[in-house]
Amino acid sequence: MPEPILVVDNVTKNFGGLTAVHEVSFQVRPKEIIGLIGPNGAGKTTLFNVISGYYAPSRGKVLFHGKDISGKTPYALAGRGIGRTFQVVKPFAGLSVLENVVIASFLRHPKRARAEEHAWKVLEFTELTDRAHQSAASLTLAGRKRLEIGKALALEPTFLLLDEVVAGLNPTEVDHTIELILKLRYQGITILIVEHIMRVIMRISDRLVVLNFGEKIAEGPPAEVATDPGVIEAYLGGGEA
Amino acid sequence: MRDRRLTRCVLAFAATLLVPAVVHDTFLLRVFTEAVMWIGLAVTFDVLAGYTGYLNFGHSAFFGIGAYTTAILMVRAGWHFAPAAALGGAAAGLGALIAGFPTLRLRGAYFAIATWALARAIQELVLMMDLTGGPDGMRLPAFLSPRFFYYVMLGVVGVTFFVYWFLLERAPFGLKLKAVREDEQGAKALGLNPTMLKIQAFILSAIPTGIIGGVFAYWVTFIDPASTLGDLVSDQALVMVVFGGMGTLIGPVIGAVLIFAFKTLFWAYLSDYEVLYLIILGAVIAGSVVFLPDGVLGVLPQRRKEVRNLA
Repeated sequence: MPEPILVVDNVTKNFGGLTAVHEVSFQVRPKEIIGLIGPNGAGKTTLFNVISGYYAPSRGKVLFHGKDISGKTPYALAGRGIGRTFQVVKPFAGLSVLENVVIASFLRHPKRARAEEHAWKVLEFTELTDRAHQSAASLTLAGRKRLEIGKALALEPTFLLLDEVVAGLNPTEVDHTIELILKLRYQGITILIVEHIMRVIMRISDRLVVLNFGEKIAEGPPAEVATDPGVIEAYLGGGEA
Repeated sequence: MRDRRLTRCVLAFAATLLVPAVVHDTFLLRVFTEAVMWIGLAVTFDVLAGYTGYLNFGHSAFFGIGAYTTAILMVRAGWHFAPAAALGGAAAGLGALIAGFPTLRLRGAYFAIATWALARAIQELVLMMDLTGGPDGMRLPAFLSPRFFYYVMLGVVGVTFFVYWFLLERAPFGLKLKAVREDEQGAKALGLNPTMLKIQAFILSAIPTGIIGGVFAYWVTFIDPASTLGDLVSDQALVMVVFGGMGTLIGPVIGAVLIFAFKTLFWAYLSDYEVLYLIILGAVIAGSVVFLPDGVLGVLPQRRKEVRNLA
């Protein structure tokens, strides 16, 4: 079995008296797609923020390629190859679509001309080429989500955290985005994805990690997790269902 | 396209070099010198306000630090003007570095208030110290050559403008600042260190402002806390930038020229109605925020097309 690319080791995150994530552990191996699911408020986004450096864990640690990265800043982690998207997509609204991606491209291509060249490739990949000169604020939700993925990709990450990139899209757009994600995996990028739409998460994930009230309640292949009594209870409520 | 604009700027700059050859009237040359100075103050203000999204109501502090450093070095230490003014710029830059770490964590109005308060504190400090002459101000050795000061001011502002053009419009730095302006948290995920970028922008804004302050001190030969550290420097720069067009290099230049021309004409012909000036200035700023969100630059035909394409 290959060395895991990411190890989440007993991570706890408290906000004052509130424990958002409690002693969660799991591993991600190279080129896997791991789905992180759970009801609202389960701690998925908090865990994302811990892994991507926005929060330092209160206890436990996160290892990336075997090195402890807990408490490192998001921009340092971007440099090490961790890209992420945001659940609430926030493009740089006052800038053009191209400029949005160019800014991300500076990480690997510090020269402006090279960064621009690279950004065009990313736009082609995410099918945003014809919108390149529009303001990012003018994109539809689907376009904004693609731009969000494009910006993360422009960092040339080896590990990508996708936070609800499908939510709110219509079925055609959903299929489109799934295709895009599978293409990324094919390119060798490891992916951790948070998603509410079960149809999507079941289809693309190799394994699922299920959180409820900040704790991991299940982990395994989608088919197995879907029949897990604990998971069903978490989603549908107690015995009366 | 962008380069054609630069060519126009270079041509405009070349034209300003000829001003003293045409304008022989001393008073008029003074007016031109001051106009160039305000262009410099507006452009430096906009690095932080427009590109980075921070309204610095302490801009006058950089101007005053530059002016006082230059004055102290020339009067008390017998330095020559050029190194004294250069050190004035460095002092302002150092001030930005020190003031930046605590204040640039704040956002929006809080940053404006904090920088305003810092500038007031510096003004009070200068008012109390013996070194600075307190409320009596400082008198510098007089060097009465309007032409010299016109060219020095033009040189400082011109170099600043072209350095800014390169850094903000050509190099990645400008886009990175805009990313921080638009969304600081999002920028972090893309490998940018917002704190570092903001400090750099603050220093980049402060250094030329300090040098301009130094030139101003030697030029007018007398400075006091009110004229160099008062609110008016920051307020007027803000009005010029907002009126001309924030987040661009040309906008503040246009704003500075128009506002300064208005101010000069007002003082020349309507000085009896002095009190009206600030009222009109206030109305202009309110009006342009509401009706000209992109400033005067936004209503020029060519620009308007660009803006509409974006929308």
